[in-house]
Amino acid sequence: MLPRRFVLTICFGLMTGFAATLPGAARADNHGEKSAEFIQSLANRAIESLTDPETPRAVRIERFRAMFNDSFAVHSIGKRALGRYWNRASDEEQTKYQRLFEELMVITYVDRFANYAGESLKIVKSRIEDKSIASVFTEIERKGGAKPIRVDWIVGTNGTIYKIVDVKVEGVSMTQTLSSDFTSIIRQRDGQVSGLIEELEKKTAQLSAN
Amino acid sequence: MKFLQNLVLALVLAVAVSGCATPPPADDRAALADYRAVNDPLEPTNRAVFAFNQGVDKGVLKPVATAYQNTLPPWLRQGVGNLVDHLRAPVVLLNDLLQGEFRRAMRTFNRFWINTALGFGFMDLAGGMGLDGHDEDFGQTLAVWGFDAGPFVMLPLFGPSNPRDTVGLVVDFLVDPFGTWARNTDRDVLVYARGGTHAVHARAQLLEFMDDLEKTSLDFYAAIRSLYRQRRDDEISNGRGSANAPVPDLSRSMEPPDFDPALELSRR
Repeated sequence: MLPRRFVLTICFGLMTGFAATLPGAARADNHGEKSAEFIQSLANRAIESLTDPETPRAVRIERFRAMFNDSFAVHSIGKRALGRYWNRASDEEQTKYQRLFEELMVITYVDRFANYAGESLKIVKSRIEDKSIASVFTEIERKGGAKPIRVDWIVGTNGTIYKIVDVKVEGVSMTQTLSSDFTSIIRQRDGQVSGLIEELEKKTAQLSAN
Repeated sequence: MKFLQNLVLALVLAVAVSGCATPPPADDRAALADYRAVNDPLEPTNRAVFAFNQGVDKGVLKPVATAYQNTLPPWLRQGVGNLVDHLRAPVVLLNDLLQGEFRRAMRTFNRFWINTALGFGFMDLAGGMGLDGHDEDFGQTLAVWGFDAGPFVMLPLFGPSNPRDTVGLVVDFLVDPFGTWARNTDRDVLVYARGGTHAVHARAQLLEFMDDLEKTSLDFYAAIRSLYRQRRDDEISNGRGSANAPVPDLSRSMEPPDFDPALELSRR
C-alpha cells in the first residue's frame, strides 16, 4: 500500500499540471458572471441617461450612440448580418455600410432600448457558451400582470472587454432578423451591396426626418 | 363591401401573374445555398398574398384593433384575452398529450377546470395560483414528431405559415370541441365571432411592435418571414432553446456569433 499522503500529492500534482495546460479555461471560467454584471450595469446606465423625458431627443441620440458603440460589438454584428456578401463588398462599401448600419440601429433603438434594458430587467441566469461567448438570460417585467418578456443577451469577451454580439427577444435574434432583411434586399439588387447601401441611405434619412 | 371586393380581386390577379421564384443556376453554388436557406420557392406569390393581407390589415383589422385597444378598459381586454385562451384549452391539452408533455398537460387541465368553475373562463384565477398558461398547436406537435416545416407559405388572412403548420391549423380546427359543438348545433356564427375576436385581440397586442418593425425594416416581408420561423422554432422547443438547454445550432444559414476584439477596437 502506498502512503496516503504520497497518493494525494500525486493526485494534486496531476490536477495542477492538467489545469496548467488549460490557461484559457482557467482565465475565462467566470466570464458568465462577469457578463451578467456587464448587462446589469448597462441596464443601470440606460435608465440614468435615456429615460428622462426632459432630455431633448438629439441629446438622447448622441448618448445612445456612445452607449451603443461602447456596449455592442457593432462591427461584428454588422459583418455577420451581411453574411457571404461581406467579402463581396469593396473596402469603401464596407465602411459606408458599417456607418449606415450604426445609424439605423441608433435611430431605431434610441426610444426602445430603455424599454428592453430598463428598470424592470431581471437577470435569471448566465451560461458560458465557449471561451469567448456567454449568454445572459433576462426577463423584462411588464405592467398589468402580462407575462414577462424573455430577453437573452449574447456577450463576447476577450477577458478584459465585454460586448454584446446578439440579443434575442422571445427566441428571435436581432442579428438573424437583420440578416434576412439585408440579404433579401441584396438579392433583389442582383447581389450588389451597393443596392443595400442605397436603401439604407433612404431608410435612415426617412427615420431621421420624423 | 366594395373595398373587400377590390381586395379579393387584387389577390386573385396578383397570384395569377406571380407564380414561382426562379432558382439560381446550378453552377452558382453560394447563390444556390442561399436559395435553399431562404426556402421560399413561392416567393412572388407569397409576396402578392402578403400585400393582400397588408391591405386587409390596414383597411380593417388594424383600425378595429386600435379602437379595441383605445376604448375598452384594460380589465375587459384582459378578460377577452382570458376567454379566447380558455376556449382553446381543449386543443392545447390534446397537443400537450400528443407531445408527451404530461406535466404541461396536467397544468392545462387544472387551469381549465379552475378557470371554468371559479372564473367563468373570463378570469384567469389559475394564473394567480401560479399555474401559468401556455399555447400549443398541432403544427408544433408535428414538429415534435419529426416533421419538417417545409417551404415558407403566406396564407391569405392567416398570415405566415408552412405546409406543416397549415396542416396543424386545419387539424386544430377540426378537433376543437367548441367549434364542433357550434357547427353541429347551427351556431356557425359563434365560430366566426370567436375567430374575429381572437384576431382583434392578438393584433391589438402587437400594435406597437408591428409598427416599429414595418418602420425600421428595409424589406418588411423578409423580416416577417425570418421572425415567423424563429418564433416557431422557439415555440416548438417551448423556449428550451434558450435558458435550459445548450444552444442547438444558432440558425439555418448563419455562422455562430463570434467576437473579434481586434475588429471592435480598431474602429476607434
